[in-house]
Amino acid sequence: MRNLFHFIFKNIHWLLFCIFIYLSVLLIVNNNQFQRSKYLQVAREVTGRVYSVTNYFRSYLYLKSANADLLKRLSQLETEVYAYRNYLGTLQSDSSRVDSCIMDSLIYRFIPAKVVNNSVSFLENYITLNKGSDDGVYPDMGVLSVNGNGVVGVIRDTSPHFSTVISLLNTKYKLNGKIKHNDYYGPLEWNGKDTQYSYLTEIPRFAAFEPGDTIVTSGYSTVFPKGIPIGSIVDAQKQRDDNYMSLRIRLFTNFNNLNEVQIVTNRFQKEQKELEERTLNPKITQ
Amino acid sequence: MSNAATGRILLFILLIILQIALFDRIHLFGYATPLLYIYFIIKLPGTMNRNWVLLLAAFLGLCIDLFNHTMGMNMLACVVIGFFRYFFLDWFAPRDLYENYFPSFRSLGRAKFLRYAFVMTVLHHIILFTAESLSFFDPLALIYRIIGSVVLTILLIFAFESIDFDVSKK
Repeated sequence: MRNLFHFIFKNIHWLLFCIFIYLSVLLIVNNNQFQRSKYLQVAREVTGRVYSVTNYFRSYLYLKSANADLLKRLSQLETEVYAYRNYLGTLQSDSSRVDSCIMDSLIYRFIPAKVVNNSVSFLENYITLNKGSDDGVYPDMGVLSVNGNGVVGVIRDTSPHFSTVISLLNTKYKLNGKIKHNDYYGPLEWNGKDTQYSYLTEIPRFAAFEPGDTIVTSGYSTVFPKGIPIGSIVDAQKQRDDNYMSLRIRLFTNFNNLNEVQIVTNRFQKEQKELEERTLNPKITQ
Repeated sequence: MSNAATGRILLFILLIILQIALFDRIHLFGYATPLLYIYFIIKLPGTMNRNWVLLLAAFLGLCIDLFNHTMGMNMLACVVIGFFRYFFLDWFAPRDLYENYFPSFRSLGRAKFLRYAFVMTVLHHIILFTAESLSFFDPLALIYRIIGSVVLTILLIFAFESIDFDVSKK
């Protein structure tokens, strides 16, 4: 034992050397941006390799429980399919309902998408989704929040795998909305301040409403189906012009934690647009 | 406090001031920067306790780092040469030939002292500049920098040594 202590004490400079080296490397890594990024890069590479190897072996250990989970999920889905089949059978006896159902699903289709980038802090806010032209997404399609309960915005531009959305929280974008029970409509404008509220403007002063009434999409454009809820009325203000008022709307969509959305595709959008275009600007040659 | 210790502290301060005020501003041909401050480590007595040498070397490097905003790099290089100094001394000037010696032209002779200083300087510069660039992205520039700086540092050490203010003599 004494010999051991003696040995350690005699060679303590090695220990000291290691401590100083450790300290200086620590200083370098913590205080120099470039060296730090290099260090992290190497560390990530190494740990990533190690993890991928250990994962490869570990995944075998969990095959059994994964299999059990899959079987459980399978039986659950099987049950659901059975239930839907039964339901479809009962619907088929009532053919008119089925027809309307199918027609609806033909006009509007929904593409699920994930929000990959979102901002609420600017005057003109845009959202980026993970679906693009490869998935059949094109400009001017509407975007709803995932449960169909609230409007998010309109596709502005697409690339093969991504698309950008003009958010409702964009002072440049005006969505047409109407009061659900009496159909008075006007453009919905955001004032750039509170992300929870927007304003439905140009509502005639004599329009009757009560706080809490629902505002829905008008369906006058080809972007959104008719009657998608937007928000509920909070209160009203007079506009500059005495004949109109603007309603403060509490939006149903919470833009601060937007994650999953649905893109609305309208099968007849192109056709309707072309027709309207032709009507507005008839070609001289025709 | 003995004269030798006072002299060594003065040398420490002088070398740091020279380094940060003068030598760090020199970039000859864009590459060479003399790093004379390691002269302090080179000149420490050969029989000094190794733990003390390491401590002083680390402190010296840290001081330079504080002024240069290069936290840790000079410290790393200094600690390494402070550690290997013992082996180099043993190698170039076996201890049993000299009693309680201070490395200098006088005690070791020019050739031996310069060889010893050269090895120390090269090791120090290689570690420092490699830590600074931390990649072999431009190895040629790195080598130019090391060679240029070693030449300048050795020249300065030679000059300082020729002035011959041997701390042991005071």
